[in-house]
Amino acid sequence: MSLAIETNQLTKTYKTRAGQVSVVKNLDLQVERGEIFGFLGPNGAGKTTTIKILLGIIYGTSGWAKVLGEEAGDINVHKKISYLPEKPYYYEHMTGMEIMQFYASLFGIKDKAQCERLLQRVNLGMDMNRPISQYSKGMQQRVGLAQSLLNDPELLFLDEPTGGLDPIAHIEIRDLILKFREEGRTVFISSHELSDVERICDRVAIINKGELVHQGRLEDLLAGGRIEITASGVTQALADKFRSDDVLVSFKGDRLIVDMPDSDSPNEMLDSIRSEKGSVVSVIPRRKRLEDLFLESVRSDNQAKGRVLNKMSDDHNDPKPSAEEETEVGS
Amino acid sequence: MNAILSIAKTTIGEAIRRKVLLIILLIGVLFLVIAPGLNVLSARSSFAVLISFTLGVIQLTGAVIAIVLTVYLIPNEIERRTIYTILCKPVHRWQFVLGKYFGAVGALGLMMLLMTGILLLVFKIMQPTATFDVLGEIARGPVFFFIQMSILAAVAMCFSVFASPIVNFFLSGGVFMVGTLFSPVFQDLANNQNLAGPVKMAATAIHTILPNFAQYNIQNPIINQGVTIQSEQLYYVGLLGYAVMYIAGLLIGAILIFDRREV
Repeated sequence: MSLAIETNQLTKTYKTRAGQVSVVKNLDLQVERGEIFGFLGPNGAGKTTTIKILLGIIYGTSGWAKVLGEEAGDINVHKKISYLPEKPYYYEHMTGMEIMQFYASLFGIKDKAQCERLLQRVNLGMDMNRPISQYSKGMQQRVGLAQSLLNDPELLFLDEPTGGLDPIAHIEIRDLILKFREEGRTVFISSHELSDVERICDRVAIINKGELVHQGRLEDLLAGGRIEITASGVTQALADKFRSDDVLVSFKGDRLIVDMPDSDSPNEMLDSIRSEKGSVVSVIPRRKRLEDLFLESVRSDNQAKGRVLNKMSDDHNDPKPSAEEETEVGS
Repeated sequence: MNAILSIAKTTIGEAIRRKVLLIILLIGVLFLVIAPGLNVLSARSSFAVLISFTLGVIQLTGAVIAIVLTVYLIPNEIERRTIYTILCKPVHRWQFVLGKYFGAVGALGLMMLLMTGILLLVFKIMQPTATFDVLGEIARGPVFFFIQMSILAAVAMCFSVFASPIVNFFLSGGVFMVGTLFSPVFQDLANNQNLAGPVKMAATAIHTILPNFAQYNIQNPIINQGVTIQSEQLYYVGLLGYAVMYIAGLLIGAILIFDRREV
């Protein structure tokens, strides 16, 4: 079976007055079916542009993108995918139910009961007949998720699905996304909520300035955690024995602090400390976090290319040139 | 077809709630209601002047509504990102453009219907003896204005796929003014045998490219003074055919541009 998403050397270039700007550069993505895939990157990294290309809303300049085995943008693919944009807006004069019926009609679905079922699924059963203008941000996001399930999609694109939500709404949406995976759907999430991504995603890709920096299983990318051992009553001679290229040894007062990779077993070291009448104060495993990986990846990529680290705040859109100055290149 | 109808329906629902359009409509209705009391009416031919004035109000109000309504249709969808949730469904871009256009024309039709209703009511009050035939004669004007505004909406829709709303407002307004005021002039120039070839060609080109809005002002004997209508029905069918062809051409242009547009 084909991959859920596959891109090959995908590039998107805009021609501006200042010259050509590549928003996405030679991107090779592989998203397996049935997984939750996190698509990460700082502001302006090219995430939204990539999603728009995958949805067929804009066109790549070179390379190719396939979604569910078909060319991105194919109308048949649109029957099997759905998209929840960041900060979605809905026609405010409509009720939740009317919004659902509108989107259902775009699929040719006339089943009102299906709309009701989906609204109930996202806990909007009681509010389905209220105008959207009276909905909170979290409720609007839940309508967005409900409409994205209308066609029973195989693949969902979620752009910042938990952005700006209160903690309760945040957890509700996160749990819903986890249920999507249980139902066998593929979920492609673009998010800045790294803790969410770390908690729910199977694999991630990190892009920076349009280029892929990392892609792989989270457990592989986050491998290489450390263990910190604190002990007292240890001699300098023994401490020196522990020292190696990958093991950092230091003293804080009379306490020895050993920082070692978690791939090595600490047992031998702990036995040595005890046999020398030392006392183990603590053994703390320090797992590598996605945040560390993200910052590390972006920083080292920027340093390697002589760039300054991007801000994590401000607007979340890619730096698309203004309509007046932009001209697509090569299509 | 479902998608076009759904998009059109939603567009109507949104348009009839837009405050700016309702204010324009309210002003138009206000003029229609107070028209009989205005001093512009001469004692000699108050009825004819009243017809001319009120139809002018409907035409102008219709034109402003058509432009203001249409210039924002697609840019608003892009700005609010609703377009993304629509175009990622099995909806072709041409369906989106047509849905938006028909929605705009639907909303415009409702607003012009309201104005026409009020116009007829005012006339019935002013002329209690007026028969349905007379009222029907009066109503024919707004019907052709509606066709005229449908062309104008197509012009604005075509510009809206590449121009910003403000630019589009002036572009569409300009086309409407030229097409209303100068189209007969260009037509005369194009038919004038005494003119030099290049001037005639330029006049023909302008007359062909620019929509001839003036011909829909069927109540205006000044503009149509040289026209002798042999068959009224045929003339009206011709007007309708011209509108359909022109609108189709503009919408095809809009679709072709929008199809490759980055949104």
